[in-house]
Amino acid sequence: MRGYLLRRLPSALFVLLLASLLVFAVLRLVPGDPAAVLAGPDASAEAEAAIRASLGLDDPLPAQYARWIGGLLTGDLGPSYAIGGRTADLIGDGIGATVELTLGALLFVIVLGAAFGMVGATSRNRWLRGTVRILTTGALAVPPFVTGVLLVLLFAVLLGVLPPGGRVPLLTAPDLGVQYLLLPALCLALPSAAVLGRYLEDSIGRALSEDYVRTATAAGIAPRRLLWRHALPNALPPVVTLLGMQTGHLLGGAVLVEAIFAWPGLGQLAEQALVRRDYPVVQDLLLLLVTVFVLVQLVTDLVHAWLDPRIRWE
Amino acid sequence: MTTLAAAQKAPLDSRTGKPRRPRHPYRAALATARGRTGLGLVLLVVLAGLLAPLLAGHGPTDQSALALAGPGTPGHPLGTDDLGRDLLARLLHGIRADLGIIAVAVPLGAVLGCLLALAAACHPLADTVVQRAFDLVLAFPGLILALAVTAILGPGRVPVILVIALAEIPVFGRLLRTGILVQRGREYVTAARVGGTSGGRILTRHILPNAADPLVVQFAVSLTVAVFIEGAMSFLGVGVRPPEPTLGAVLSQSMPYLAQAPHFAAGPLVTVTALVLGLSLTAEALSREIRR
Amino acid sequence: MTETRPSTPTAPTRRATLRAAGGGALLLGLGVTGCRSAVSEAGSPAGEAGEAGKASTEPRRGGTLSVAVNADFTPSLLFAQSAQSLQQRLIYNTLTRYDDRLKPQPELATSWEYAKDGRSLTLALRTGVTFHDGRPFTADDVIFAVENLQSPLRAAQLRATAAVVTGFEKRGDHELVLKLAHPVNNLFDLFEFMIIADRNSVEDAVTGKRLNGTGPFRLTRWSPGSGLSLRRNETYWRPGRPYLDGVELRVVPQADALLSSLRTGQSQLSFSVPGKNLSVVAATPELAISQYSTGGGAVYLGVNTTVAPLDDKTVRQALAWAIDRERILKQVLGGYGLASAAPWPKSSPAFTEAGRTHYTHNPGKARELLRSAGHTRLDLPLLHVNLPGETAVAEAVQYDLRQIGVHVTLQPTDSAAAQKNLISQNMPGLWTMGHGFAQVQPSTLAVSAYPFNEAKNTSRFRSAAYTKVVREAWTGPAEGARANALREKITDTLLDEAFIIDLAIRGSVQVSARKLHGVTLNKFTYLNLDDAYLAG
Repeated sequence: MRGYLLRRLPSALFVLLLASLLVFAVLRLVPGDPAAVLAGPDASAEAEAAIRASLGLDDPLPAQYARWIGGLLTGDLGPSYAIGGRTADLIGDGIGATVELTLGALLFVIVLGAAFGMVGATSRNRWLRGTVRILTTGALAVPPFVTGVLLVLLFAVLLGVLPPGGRVPLLTAPDLGVQYLLLPALCLALPSAAVLGRYLEDSIGRALSEDYVRTATAAGIAPRRLLWRHALPNALPPVVTLLGMQTGHLLGGAVLVEAIFAWPGLGQLAEQALVRRDYPVVQDLLLLLVTVFVLVQLVTDLVHAWLDPRIRWE
Repeated sequence: MTTLAAAQKAPLDSRTGKPRRPRHPYRAALATARGRTGLGLVLLVVLAGLLAPLLAGHGPTDQSALALAGPGTPGHPLGTDDLGRDLLARLLHGIRADLGIIAVAVPLGAVLGCLLALAAACHPLADTVVQRAFDLVLAFPGLILALAVTAILGPGRVPVILVIALAEIPVFGRLLRTGILVQRGREYVTAARVGGTSGGRILTRHILPNAADPLVVQFAVSLTVAVFIEGAMSFLGVGVRPPEPTLGAVLSQSMPYLAQAPHFAAGPLVTVTALVLGLSLTAEALSREIRR
Repeated sequence: MTETRPSTPTAPTRRATLRAAGGGALLLGLGVTGCRSAVSEAGSPAGEAGEAGKASTEPRRGGTLSVAVNADFTPSLLFAQSAQSLQQRLIYNTLTRYDDRLKPQPELATSWEYAKDGRSLTLALRTGVTFHDGRPFTADDVIFAVENLQSPLRAAQLRATAAVVTGFEKRGDHELVLKLAHPVNNLFDLFEFMIIADRNSVEDAVTGKRLNGTGPFRLTRWSPGSGLSLRRNETYWRPGRPYLDGVELRVVPQADALLSSLRTGQSQLSFSVPGKNLSVVAATPELAISQYSTGGGAVYLGVNTTVAPLDDKTVRQALAWAIDRERILKQVLGGYGLASAAPWPKSSPAFTEAGRTHYTHNPGKARELLRSAGHTRLDLPLLHVNLPGETAVAEAVQYDLRQIGVHVTLQPTDSAAAQKNLISQNMPGLWTMGHGFAQVQPSTLAVSAYPFNEAKNTSRFRSAAYTKVVREAWTGPAEGARANALREKITDTLLDEAFIIDLAIRGSVQVSARKLHGVTLNKFTYLNLDDAYLAG
């Protein structure tokens, strides 16, 4: 196991290095630069040139790259170019918002997923089961920009009970914050809730058809008690793993949901920074995302290798 | 393996009592209620797209002074958009454009992904390289990738197709790689190898056919992902070149008018839902039948 | 769910029930008690919105005003014209401000006098003004402000005018003589534009760390992406002002969400409601719409005069005749603004009805001109920014041009790349964009707005006649018959040469709660809330 880890570690670092070079290079291939953005729409070429020089964008590329990596290694992310403020603060705020959204969504995943699963596995009402089935199929298939528009249309435009977008941080005003969080979290949660629901339905269904359960039913133990005491506990441990994986999906899906609901998280920050060519913010942010991904990948691979020795190349 | 499994499970025909001729699982899948509904929805949308020039009474980019007319306006059954363009025409031609994009992009991604996986299967070094390349692509959020690609290439159909293909390559590549690794460990492959069958032959005759099923299911899933990526790119303003309509483009144009003219958004909402629902029902039916 | 507004004794409406149900679900889910609604009027700080119509016009102290903006404050553009400049006059002051007829009025400068030759200006400065950190305001702060704008690093659009000031002569702390290289008639544009910032903390200011000014409000916090929080400056130089305790600039990038924050009373003021959404506002009794005659910038079709056949003036004029400006105004700008072939808004001294209607929608004439230049079909690229409103303008132009046989391929580009192309004179044959600077002294447009610059512009248009008339207008008098003649000449040149084809002046539209009074904007959309108050 340790040997496998040692073999995988260098290649993970290599991916990081490659990613940093890629981000750096691609960003400079993209036409337009932060100086042009900062100079503004009625500016002269001189103003732009002065700004470019002041940002150090005239330095040779290797020097700029070294400055960036050096800053990262010493823990100083430096100032943002175009958005303003310090890069570390911007990313910190973004992480706060994205984590809030993801946790809110996770709550929905658990509640909705459990509801879908229980109804699907235990309800005797065919119509109810059918409805849940259609709901989960829809939730899995329909892209978030469609569910997002539908949610806004329903709750914000027609009913007017929830705001269509924006954010009030939960910690500063919990009562208002929750109302802003509700729609984006639901929109983000739906596909994962369906996955969880499907899974629970399967495993509860299987548990309920086990021999000991049948025996118990025959012995006259109430079905509800069986569900809570036997079927559910047996289905739970893998659910934790499943939720772990879905959390990764939620973080990834947050980018688009943030765009739909104007939620100022990491995705919005990334888009804004890219549009304004804020090199430091884009670079640090993308490298952070890649690092998270690589770590998750590493852990997943380790777990897989542990579970299934065939994956390892001998 | 699948044919074997299907044969073993071949049910007895209820009328004759004889074993039914084993049906190919794909055909069996499409004969289920789920499969039929899915396929029906997809065909409906595809047909609407194919017949767009016949069904639409207007050009999709013809503007008029009649802006934001409601549904049921004479000559404009679905109404008009902010620039007075016929929404029915934009919807139908939007479907057409979407289909054109995903019909190229998904097969492209699938083929490239599979080729890479095959290359990876040949040598451990190639495997490492390909794996890390997949990691790298997967590590970037798809939409950030989309923004970067279009910023470099400029807008249009080609970047959209490229982004979709790029997102699909690692998905198919990993799936096939895992399939190959799993099959390779099975007894029949070992037996064939011991029996002196060449590596290439084992791959094409034994491993690939058995690793193909998940790919077929993934293909259907990927089609829905492609619809999703096209729409998301339009939402971020990096979709196909305006004024050409796509489902995502029409939907994103309707966003500022959600309060005043909800009918503007209705067409693409319903169509996208029908299309992805149809595709995923089909995928679901296939995967259930294959797993049996 | 507690609502502070008086409830009617009748049964709750369906909407209220739903809202209560939503609130109930929240309570269950998160254990929050006594919650406000994010979509009801109850959230507004000063209470009831509907009663404002009765207008108790007695100014009232207190309350926090929430302003909805669609873009965040950009500290690095503090000294330049940026997308969001409302905070400028809240935190800072300027030397003078224009009234409706472009006559300067005192702010930090109390009086001024030109020398006879027009080569120097003596300013008397206000005494007893202090910065937020307690330091007194003196002539040195004005000297710093001018020198600061002379640096190309600040990208100030009025740098050309700031650069005309070549010397300073201090007479004590509160009198200053500015020496000019040559007479200019837009010095007060500079004074309207130039904020007086603390010279010791300017580096902190451009990174957004600390904004130290003399204005009516102090910055308490800037949260990037969310907005600015300001509180009352207790030592403001205008006694008894401001009335408000605080101001919040809240960033709401989405038009939908912005509109909803106004309709629900979460914000009481915005200048960022798109024209096409104003019909919804008009139907909301608690909200008032007012228009500023200065306009909110102009939408134009730019032409690269070095791309054949656009080097032919006749072809450019054909394009100008082909476009249905009224339709663009109605369909894209929601009818708010002014369809105009000239860049000037109604408040400009250069505005003439003849100039505005010089080109109208006349495809027949356009085709004829095109034919006379020897063309029946043209294929041209058109660059535009890939934001929804900008795309709609480009699509409308494309359609109109197709009707006269000019087939346009759109090139949606993100704003950074478009900006780069604009500055580096790298535009394709055509592009659509917006320009500002037509709302002040007309000479400023030709000197400071890059698309119109006589020496170097994106259209690569050069003409000795244009340069001559621009220079004369800039150094000539600001008023009188000669000034008017020169302005007319500039307009005529712009219309005849058609290298920038103006389409429409955007409306500068204020949407505010009816209980809010006393809001004004300066010519560069700096928000002035000195006299603003929320009626009880």
